[in-house]
Amino acid sequence: MLDVSMSNPALLSFQQVLKKCFQSLESNQNEWNSILAECTSLVTSLGNSAEQLRALSTVEISNTPLSTFPDLQERLQFKLIQAVDLVLGKLNEKMSALKLVRDSISKQVWSAFQLYEQYSDSLDLATCTQRSATAPSISDMLEWLQDAERYYRQQFLRRKSLLQSMRPNDLSLLESVPKRWEALYSTSKDESISETLFKVSFFVESQ
Amino acid sequence: MEVTHQGRKSAVTGSARKIKDNAADWHNLILKWDKLNDEGSAVANKIVNLGLIKQDSQREQHMVMEDLASASSLIIGRPPDHSRELEEECIKLVTIVDNMTRVVSKMAKLVSSERGVVELETFQYRAEGRPPPLFLTWTTAQFAELSSKLYEAFSIELSLKKAILQELAHTTNSDLCLVYLSCWLHQPYIDHDIKLLQEGLLLETGHRTL
Repeated sequence: MLDVSMSNPALLSFQQVLKKCFQSLESNQNEWNSILAECTSLVTSLGNSAEQLRALSTVEISNTPLSTFPDLQERLQFKLIQAVDLVLGKLNEKMSALKLVRDSISKQVWSAFQLYEQYSDSLDLATCTQRSATAPSISDMLEWLQDAERYYRQQFLRRKSLLQSMRPNDLSLLESVPKRWEALYSTSKDESISETLFKVSFFVESQ
Repeated sequence: MEVTHQGRKSAVTGSARKIKDNAADWHNLILKWDKLNDEGSAVANKIVNLGLIKQDSQREQHMVMEDLASASSLIIGRPPDHSRELEEECIKLVTIVDNMTRVVSKMAKLVSSERGVVELETFQYRAEGRPPPLFLTWTTAQFAELSSKLYEAFSIELSLKKAILQELAHTTNSDLCLVYLSCWLHQPYIDHDIKLLQEGLLLETGHRTL
C-alpha cells in the first residue's frame, strides 16, 4: 500500500506528535494509577478514624469501666481528629500530584488538536480516515486521545469534589468516603485506555 | 566526680554520665513501648473480631435452639468454636501488658535515679545548684522533672491498657469495643508534648544533634 506520508510532510510531522502523545499518555496512566493506589490506604484510614469518632460520640464514657480516667473522651477525640488532619494533608498532596498528571495529559492532547488545526489543509478527510495494518486512522487516534483526556479530567473533578464535600461535623459522611471514593473508579474506562494504547502500539513503535 | 569542661566532645563522667545514660534508656524504653503497643493493637483487634464472631454464632445457636424447641427435629452440628483461639489471643495480650508493666517499672527506676542526682547536687552546691549546667541549658532539676512527667504519662497509659485488657474479650457493645481499640491504638495520655520532651532530652544530652 502506498505510504501517503511520503508525499505529505505535514502528515509525517503530525504523526510524530501523535506518537509522543500516546507515549506520554502511557506514562501518565501509570503515574495516575500508582498515585491512586497510594490514596487507597489513606482513604481507608479516613473511614476508620471516622468510625472511631462516631463510636466515641455514641458511647457515654462515664457509664463505662473507663470512667475513672480523666478527660479521656476529650483526649481521644483530639487524637482522632489529629489523625484525620494528618491523612487529609497527605490526601491533599496526592490530589496535587493527580492534578499534575491531568494537566500534563490535557496539555499534550490540546497541543495535538491545535497542530491539527494548523495542518488541516494538508490533512483532509481522506487522509484522516485512512488506516493501515500498523496504524489506526488519525481521526480514531484523535478521538481516543480526546476520550482519555476527558476521563482524567472528570476523574480529577469527581475525586476533588468528593473530598471537598466532607464536613467536619458530619461523621457519617466521613465514614462513607472510602466506599464513594472506590466507586469513582471505572474499570471499563481505565481498561479502554489500556486498549487504546495497545491498538496504537505498532504505530508508536514504527519509524 | 566532676564533669570536665573541655568542650562537648570530652568524656562525660559522674552525674552527667548518669543523666546521659538515662536519656538513652528513656529513648530505648519508649521504643520498646511503641513496639509493644503496635503488637497489642493487632492482638486487641483480633480479640474484638473473635468476640463478635462468637456473639453472632451464639445468637445463631440460640435461634437454632428455639427452632428445635418448636419443632422436634434432630440436633444439627454445632457452629465452629472460636473460644480456644479467643483464649490464646487474650493470653497474648496479657503477656504484652506484662511486658509494658516491666517497661514502666524501669521508667520508675530512671525517675528515682534522677531524683538521686538532684539530691546529690543539692548536697554539693546547696540550693543554688550547679553553676554551669551539666549539658547545654537545662538545670539538673529540669531533667528530673521531665523524667517525672514522662513516667506519669506512661503510668496512666498503662492503667488504661490494663482496664482495656479486663474488658475487651467480654464487651458485647460493638461501639464500646471500638472505643477500647481506639484508646489502645491512639494512646490518649501520650500526647505531642511527650514526644517533644523526649526529643528535647536527646538534643540536650547530645544524643541527637541539631
